[in-house]
Amino acid sequence: MSKKEKILLKAAIAFALMFAVTPAVNAMHIMEGYLPVKYCIAWGAICVPFLVTGLISLKKRVKENRKSIMLIAMAGAFIFVISSLKIPSVTGSCSHMTGTGLGAILFGPAAVSVLGIIVLLFQAILLAHGGLTTLGANTFSMAIAGPLLSFGIYQLCKKMNVNRKISVFLAAFLGDIFTYCVTSIQLALAYPSEAGGVAASAVKFLGVFAPTQLPLAVIEGILTVIIVIGLEAYAKPELKAIGFLKEAK
Amino acid sequence: MIVVDKLCYRSGLRYVNAGEKFAFSMITLLFCVISRSLVIAGIVFAVNAYLTVKKGHIAAKQYIKLLAVPFTFLILSTLAIIVNISKVPLDAYAIPVGSFFITGSFQSLLFGIQLIATAMASVTCLYFLSLNTTMTDILGVLTKLHCPEILTELMLLIYRFIFVLMDTASAIMVSQKSRLGNRDFRTSVNSFGKMAAGLLLRAFKRSNALYDAMESRCYDGKIRVLEENHPARKKEIAAIAVFELILLVLTIWRSFL
Repeated sequence: MSKKEKILLKAAIAFALMFAVTPAVNAMHIMEGYLPVKYCIAWGAICVPFLVTGLISLKKRVKENRKSIMLIAMAGAFIFVISSLKIPSVTGSCSHMTGTGLGAILFGPAAVSVLGIIVLLFQAILLAHGGLTTLGANTFSMAIAGPLLSFGIYQLCKKMNVNRKISVFLAAFLGDIFTYCVTSIQLALAYPSEAGGVAASAVKFLGVFAPTQLPLAVIEGILTVIIVIGLEAYAKPELKAIGFLKEAK
Repeated sequence: MIVVDKLCYRSGLRYVNAGEKFAFSMITLLFCVISRSLVIAGIVFAVNAYLTVKKGHIAAKQYIKLLAVPFTFLILSTLAIIVNISKVPLDAYAIPVGSFFITGSFQSLLFGIQLIATAMASVTCLYFLSLNTTMTDILGVLTKLHCPEILTELMLLIYRFIFVLMDTASAIMVSQKSRLGNRDFRTSVNSFGKMAAGLLLRAFKRSNALYDAMESRCYDGKIRVLEENHPARKKEIAAIAVFELILLVLTIWRSFL
């Protein structure tokens, strides 16, 4: 073996080991302190209009029916619990769902944006997934961009009369993929590559996270479908109450 | 179930004024991220580790385990920053692959190390807050900072419900396991989905019952709890001020160097 080949082999082994010892695979939370200050502030600022819209719509819902605050809070806790539980995975490493795709389908993107920032705050403080300085960036990718796309796809499929199971799968799956793409772009904007700039950097980030994120998105899609089937079987009145199923069918 | 939440109730610094702890960790975190220097990261890491392990009585082993949580993200994304694929080799290292090079520069290596140090130091700031302050105390601070009322109320409710739902979820999962619900990949995926559906259904039912119970006790949209009052001590405030001043001087000094 030449010297170069040896180095390459060592690098390959190190890379393989890294996946072997991986303690947990999460949806891509940007960790605490990883983004420069101006990006933290910028992403935070971008989130503000979405949050204000979400808060206003929540306030309206609560005013109409005080009971709904309990329901919304339960939904938030549900998203947190679902995302903190280990889900079955093929590789043996433990991974977690994001749960925001399901939330967007069931409760609408406005509610999820507010619930998302609360869940992300709890995840940062209680589980150290994500962080306080990166809360803005994480909120944008996970509580705004992903759920909005999920919701849009679900509505589009509904209009086109696609089978509900397929549309739920597509919404959750593509929402996850989109979140992962947005996070990669956020990282790339903050850290453009020395050779090739932002675009090359984005490709690199997409590349290193692909092995963990792609299987996760598929599993999340399948799980979301199973959850929705289960809910349709046992919780029809509740689904009608939150407006997921149409009244009088 | 949630380790951090359990530990913070046992912390030796639990009864220190929450505002003090909040201010300390937030300002230190800011300096960490703004300065991006190895020296400041080192100091912050050492001080936070000392405070949390020695004063807060968190077991060192547990602390190290917790610090390893964001490890995957840290390694993967730093790798993406320091490794480049380009047609021209850079100065630190270059491995030719076909007509391209896997390459990086000394500057980016140094940058990567700085980034890892900053990120780890920031994580210790976050842990200082979360391992020594209970969530209800943090919510108290947020209320004092005039966070919108509906947001703090939602947070309080969600925080409470998390534990209720986690109990339910773990009970369902135990009974699934005892019935071979995790036999192979297919069944475990199916079990997890059904557990989640059942969990949401119960959450809905519970929220109805809870609302009735609270309304019968005159719930009008505000949950008023008596707050334990632990006044800030002058000595602690002085110590925090001196520490942040040192960080400020270091930050300014480093940026002119």
